[in-house]
Amino acid sequence: MPRLLFCSLFATALVTVETSAQRAADTDARFSARRVAMVDRYIVGEGIKDSATLHAMRAVPRHEFVPADLRDKAYDNHPLPIGLGQTISQPYIVAFMTEIVRPRPGMRVLEVGTGSGYQAAVLAATGAQVYTIEIFRPLADSARSRLERLGYRGVTVRHGDGHDGWPEAAPFDAVMVTAAAGHIPPALTRQLRPGGRMVIPVGSVYGAQYLILVEKDAKGAVRTRNLLPVMFVPMLSGPR
Amino acid sequence: MTVRAVAVGCLAAASLLFEILLIRVFAVEHFHHVAYMAIGVAMLGIGASGTVVAALGGTTTSAAQRWFAPAALATAVSLVVTPVVLHRIALDLTQLTWSATQWLRLGFVYVLLALPFALGALAMLLAITLEHTRPGWIYGAGFLGSAGGALLSVVVLWFLDPTRALAIPALIAALGAAMIAWSGARSTGRFAVAALTLALTSLVVVRPLWRVAVSPYKALPQVEAYPDARRVAERLSPLGWVVAVQAPAFRYAPGLSLAYEGDLPPQTALFVDGELAGAVTHWATNEPDRGAMEVLRWLPLALPYALGGRLRVLVLGAGAGMEVWAALAHGARRVVAVEVNSALIDATTDLAQLPTRATTAAQIDWIAGDARSVVARTRERFDLITLVPGGGITGAAGGLHALNEDFMHTTDAYADYLQRLTSDGVLAVTRWASEPPRSSVRVILAIAEAMRRVRPAATQNGIVVARSWGTTTVLAKPAGFSEADLDRLRTWAASRQVDLDWFPGASSPEAQYNIPDEPTLVYAARAAVAHPDSARRFADEYPFAVAPASDARPYPHRFLRAGSLRTFLRSGSASWLPFAEWGYIALLATLAQSVLLAGVFIVIPAALHSRRSRGPSESLLPVVAYFAAIGLGYMAAEIAVIQQLTLLLGHPVYAVAGVLASILMCSGAGSMWSDRVAPRHATRVGAALGGALAVLAAVLLALVHHFQPLPFAVRGVAAATLLVPVAFAMGMMFPLGLRGIAGDHGKRIAWAWSSNGFASVVGAPLAALIAVEAGSQMLLVVAAAVYLLAGLIARGSVVGHSWSWPRSRLLAVFDRAASARHPR
Repeated sequence: MPRLLFCSLFATALVTVETSAQRAADTDARFSARRVAMVDRYIVGEGIKDSATLHAMRAVPRHEFVPADLRDKAYDNHPLPIGLGQTISQPYIVAFMTEIVRPRPGMRVLEVGTGSGYQAAVLAATGAQVYTIEIFRPLADSARSRLERLGYRGVTVRHGDGHDGWPEAAPFDAVMVTAAAGHIPPALTRQLRPGGRMVIPVGSVYGAQYLILVEKDAKGAVRTRNLLPVMFVPMLSGPR
Repeated sequence: MTVRAVAVGCLAAASLLFEILLIRVFAVEHFHHVAYMAIGVAMLGIGASGTVVAALGGTTTSAAQRWFAPAALATAVSLVVTPVVLHRIALDLTQLTWSATQWLRLGFVYVLLALPFALGALAMLLAITLEHTRPGWIYGAGFLGSAGGALLSVVVLWFLDPTRALAIPALIAALGAAMIAWSGARSTGRFAVAALTLALTSLVVVRPLWRVAVSPYKALPQVEAYPDARRVAERLSPLGWVVAVQAPAFRYAPGLSLAYEGDLPPQTALFVDGELAGAVTHWATNEPDRGAMEVLRWLPLALPYALGGRLRVLVLGAGAGMEVWAALAHGARRVVAVEVNSALIDATTDLAQLPTRATTAAQIDWIAGDARSVVARTRERFDLITLVPGGGITGAAGGLHALNEDFMHTTDAYADYLQRLTSDGVLAVTRWASEPPRSSVRVILAIAEAMRRVRPAATQNGIVVARSWGTTTVLAKPAGFSEADLDRLRTWAASRQVDLDWFPGASSPEAQYNIPDEPTLVYAARAAVAHPDSARRFADEYPFAVAPASDARPYPHRFLRAGSLRTFLRSGSASWLPFAEWGYIALLATLAQSVLLAGVFIVIPAALHSRRSRGPSESLLPVVAYFAAIGLGYMAAEIAVIQQLTLLLGHPVYAVAGVLASILMCSGAGSMWSDRVAPRHATRVGAALGGALAVLAAVLLALVHHFQPLPFAVRGVAAATLLVPVAFAMGMMFPLGLRGIAGDHGKRIAWAWSSNGFASVVGAPLAALIAVEAGSQMLLVVAAAVYLLAGLIARGSVVGHSWSWPRSRLLAVFDRAASARHPR
């Protein structure tokens, strides 16, 4: 009798595990399909052409970077809250900013404002070496563990002050700022390699901002170009 | 009867105070445009109360007697319950574009906010029913109470933070309810309930049951989350709740040059209603020092000082003093700093020593006041008059304050500033860049137009446009820029990586440092200086509304055209739209909501009732039309007059409160006096009002400009002279109309109340829209037309004390005429 009971329980557990695994697989497949649809509609459809960017956007599971109760919204084209008044940017903006910095394997990228880690994951998926700074310790810690769990080895997460950049890892081929600032921090410009590009939203904090592309030429001179209007959370300085 | 009137006054005061405080609370917890939208819908509660009563068959005197006190008590209770429940709803408006749950919550908030207004209006409606032979007395008491509420709002916002301030309306309403309970038929239960309500509302003032929390997406909670951040100062004022936060990691250097390689000094962040408003910089020394203040030379505001010789400087919108320090760092010997928010000056003084005559060698005067008033009255001349964008610049960039009137940036203002310059003086206006350019284009066009008024010959060689990565600065020099001036500007601009998009002699300047998609500012400047017609054509053809603002249409931060909306949606650039003009979109949304709900709650039921009525004498349409007309007319006239007299009296808050209170008091007096006037005179009053408002439309702005330079006492008398007779007559129309239907009073009073309430609510956003699109003069014309219409409706309708359909009057006239031709 006990043997029969044990076998029954074992069989039930096995079925349950298989059912859960099947459910997980179904979920992954569903999200994967939605991810492809998102790229086709909101990214390719809006003019993003860079193959490395498109590959990365199709590969990175955005739903892993949003709160569990918002996963069904993960592949819609709008920002989502991730706590502490911060947001994960809308997919189109992530793709746009990625394409602008011309991602390629081996390039060194500084990201200011890790947030959920999604942008860092996208950059890492293009083959870049990513150094990302986050001012909120809870976000920095959760992004670090999430990126490790998902296997993004090319990302180094630091809890720190974005205004001062990352001098020991400089210079960078690209600097990407995902938090708005009322001015362009001199340290970030200094740490940009000649020939490099920086994308930063500037303008008013918590109002509408505009993406600025800062290009440093071979002689070290910088020029700017206004890109498109966006909305970001502000760049915060100082560890917390 | 007197107690009843005083109680109604308390309820009216509580309602208006609650409305004003809700706007402040919503502005802190969300953003300003949300406040207008939510309050606009909440006010529909006023009209809804009348519709509900009418649907129930109207009220009798006995029913009014029975329910008046309970309605007043319920109003007081709802003024406590509403904020408590409101602050337990997790509303995140940033999720409206994708979350159906947020829409449901917003809808619930609308209903919740409407409740106290509906109950308060019901109480007043019942009071009017009780006093149907003298409705002017009660209606006038309501006006006077509202006036008190308007004045009280200024006092309350000086001394109480938004959390505690929100408890005051309930206390006032409870006082009114207690008066009713104590003076009416003695009932122990009612007496006890009233006393308990008064005690509860008093307790809530001491210990509020809610807490106003700043939106997590605003700058204040973000900066307060910095390491080692601490709140170091807090000031209250009707202009906003000012908070100062010190955080070692906070830095503020708006538009800092890309070529700057130094450090930023320690700063304390300043916030108004949770939004960043600037920073107090803690210089190493109070005296201007090259080393300590080097960073000031790398900000856009330093451009005009490159010309040299800026010894006498006027700073408009001085904020936390950065521009004043910049003037001192560049050698100014005389600085006048004007800042309208005195709480901001006080907070800055708490934190760091402001440069004053006592602390520096320069002669410095700080003036807490309105910039236009200061400029109008001063006889000083300045080498430089500078206007920089506000600290947080959230409104200008996000369109959140698109509908805020701003008299500092109209063509008339720029002309005034130009006339206060010395012979070599310069006006400098800096705005944040936007994509596509909007505010910069408007400034260029406005300055060119102002130059044509002041010194037409200087337009061609008196304007320079400089553009950095984030800002645009327009310089205007009536004496014209010499070659030496231009050399100095070019040298400064090159070192700061600023492009000179326009200067005298420019043909097609090429951007070197900050590459735009299109050289829009070049095109704008070229059109602006060439000829007024080319400037006008450029403004007409530009996708955004960039024509210069004027004192008649003082909306320099509003750029959205309805046509642009369609273009953006068609072009797939929908991502631009959310950041274009939230304020204007919110106004359209409020108007649409109000019209829809007014249609559902008043027009359709009134039309259905008319179809079911037994005859033309019972038709509600004249009732609805008359009271809707005077509701619309009142709002239109009120908004237009407040806007223009604010410019005359200076100070956006005190002037608005004072003018609003004056209008309401005079209207109250007019209401009370109307009980002595026969209802048939509504026609004459309507006609007189139409004529007076039409005259005001023609002359008011000219009178404002004429009186502006005079002492405040003279301006006050002028304002009162213009205001009193019009407001008095406006107050008469409602009670005269009510007595015209007193013979069938129960249901018709309810319909009158409902239609007037809804028309007032629709009238507010509609009047704002007319003001934005066509100006305050047109708004006064509309008000005149509407009051004339009301007078005509009254003429065709009032017979003795009964209200009958105009057709029966016409038939009677024809009958008499026929009898006269064919005597029997």
